[in-house]
Amino acid sequence: MSAAREMLCDTARAVFAEAATAGIAPVEEAGFALLLVPEGDGGFGGDWGDVNAVLQIAGVAVPDLPVAALIAGEALQPAAIVSLMAGAMGKALALSIEHVNTRQQFGRPLGKFQAVQQSLAVIACEVRAVEAAAAALAARLDAVELDAAAADFEIAAAKLRANRAVGVVTAIAHQVHGAIGFTAEYELNRVTIPLMRWRGEHGNDAYWAAKLGRQVAGFGGRGLWEALTAR
Amino acid sequence: MQGFALYPFDPPGDVAALRAELRAWLAVNQPQGDIVARANCWASFDADFSRALGAAGYVGMTLPKQYGGGDRHPLERYVVIEELLAAGAPVGAHWIADRQTGPLILRYGSEDQRQRYLPGIAKGELYACIGLSEPGAGSDLAAVRTTARETAEGWRINGQKIWTTGAHFSHIMLALVRTEEGSERNAGLSQLLIDLDTPGITIRPIIDMAGNHDFNEVFFDDVLVPHGTLVGMRGQGWQQVTAELGLERSGPERYLSSQALLAALIDAAGAEPDPAVAVLIGELTAEMWTLRQLSMSTAAKLAAGEDPMVEASVVKELGNAFEQDMPRRVQAIVDCPWGDPGDLGRLLRALLIASPSFSLRGGTREVIRGIIARGLGLR
Ligand SMILES: Cc1cc2nc3c(=O)[nH]c(=O)nc-3n(C[C@H](O)[C@H](O)[C@H](O)COP(=O)(O)OP(=O)(O)OC[C@H]3O[C@@H](n4cnc5c(N)ncnc54)[C@H](O)[C@@H]3O)c2cc1C
Repeated sequence: MSAAREMLCDTARAVFAEAATAGIAPVEEAGFALLLVPEGDGGFGGDWGDVNAVLQIAGVAVPDLPVAALIAGEALQPAAIVSLMAGAMGKALALSIEHVNTRQQFGRPLGKFQAVQQSLAVIACEVRAVEAAAAALAARLDAVELDAAAADFEIAAAKLRANRAVGVVTAIAHQVHGAIGFTAEYELNRVTIPLMRWRGEHGNDAYWAAKLGRQVAGFGGRGLWEALTAR
Repeated sequence: MQGFALYPFDPPGDVAALRAELRAWLAVNQPQGDIVARANCWASFDADFSRALGAAGYVGMTLPKQYGGGDRHPLERYVVIEELLAAGAPVGAHWIADRQTGPLILRYGSEDQRQRYLPGIAKGELYACIGLSEPGAGSDLAAVRTTARETAEGWRINGQKIWTTGAHFSHIMLALVRTEEGSERNAGLSQLLIDLDTPGITIRPIIDMAGNHDFNEVFFDDVLVPHGTLVGMRGQGWQQVTAELGLERSGPERYLSSQALLAALIDAAGAEPDPAVAVLIGELTAEMWTLRQLSMSTAAKLAAGEDPMVEASVVKELGNAFEQDMPRRVQAIVDCPWGDPGDLGRLLRALLIASPSFSLRGGTREVIRGIIARGLGLR
């Protein structure tokens, strides 16, 4: 990550921490609405790679605040939500790892049991897949200067992939946590409930699968490969 | 394994031109054989094709010129192999030599071994097989018992390998053997590069459930090979094999073997697909696109000289699951009798039958998940 983006992320973490209790005002005051606005127009001149990084933090820290809507327009909301989801899934994985390393049963940490290890490997794969999808979508959006229509294939594929990961990630994260993860107090639900919500927002699985499927049918069998490698 | 940085896939030179050249070459040179051979095509043997591919400069691409290679960047090679796999080209004969044995010889081999084997590998004429598994050493590879004792004349090998893909057509085997008497587990192992026409070696076919002869049993009965067959450091076999498996697990073949079925499904569906089929195509495409991003990023990390052991395992795990899922889901939705003579029916049947092997070869699903769990800090 570039030094500029690291700084941006540090700022985002600090501002979102404040916003978690104070609401959206600190995010507005910090100027996040100007993230994508060119420097010449008085903005920060950021790209979607920056947005992806910032929204992954927002997905964990302030999942209920309209940060994505502040930064990007309607056409880019499905893309924005993929970044929120990637961030939240990363947090669900991190919480799960921490929990199984500390919670002891049968005289050992849960993480020493092979069944638990294999379950966590499964969610780790899902999280890596969604992170990769979010990053690849960002690269495409930046290559086409944020023209959502030119990135329609990637938006559909990334949102669909993220949606499909939600079921696996939330189920396993809760399973390895046991009852504590089902409490209002413990923080796992602060990422899993938003994940459940985001799966249905800006296009559920059926919506994107049908859309992408029809687009690919138009490419034809060999055409799909040609389209993938030409983009 | 905290956070996943997507390594930018940025090969030098004109990638579009590289693809276009190769596609034009394939249009002329790819045999128009059976559609089923296009699925799982890195198991399809065709010596003439391998030789032609080598002559065109598409084998041993990353090996240095002095050994007959192309001195190309690893990511240029990646572009070439993903194109070959997507086209379903019969690359099985030289696949293992090109993917892992050649690079391993370059990295650990002696000058003599390099000069002796690398030019043949780069021509697409010299084939290799991997001698790891034994009857008592499957997932538990450290249980290898085949021994090689050092004598005045050379190494004397006794023991047995099994499941050795391509041993029947290969010229050499890179074998993991126990060179240190009394050693246990992953200590005392070494890699030997064995010419398979050496007296005392017996290769017997094992026919797989698809009726194909791909893998074999290989017996070593007091086989004498020269001292110079040792690759790398004596006793460092385990470390070297681990590096080799990184090359073996990370490639695009872990998600592109079933590309022919996806293409056939799309073609059969037509431009106005049935809604349920459109949804299936959409879901499979999203997964394939994501896997391609993960695979390219892993290749870029490997090319940057870093060790992507965990990332490679993620690609293999998700790729295997995708490829095993695809024929099952196609069968669940498309009405296609078992004996259907069309492309889609034949590919579907072939991949349903081949797919159990995907999460066995190159490390089982459970072993791969264990590696990922170690990356998470759980073991
Ligand atoms: C098509 C094909 C090609 C192959 N080609 C080659 C080749 O060219 N060269 C070569 O050396 N080998 C080759 N192999 C062998 C392959 O590497 C082995 O099949 C694999 O390592 C598993 O070993 P095994 O078959 O003995 O199964 P086992 O090790 O007996 O495993 C059986 C099952 O038990 C599970 N299991 C084992 N141990 C554990 C554990 N500790 N915890 C949880 N689960 C466990 C496994 O995951 C698996 O599901 C090939 C295999 C296939 C199918």
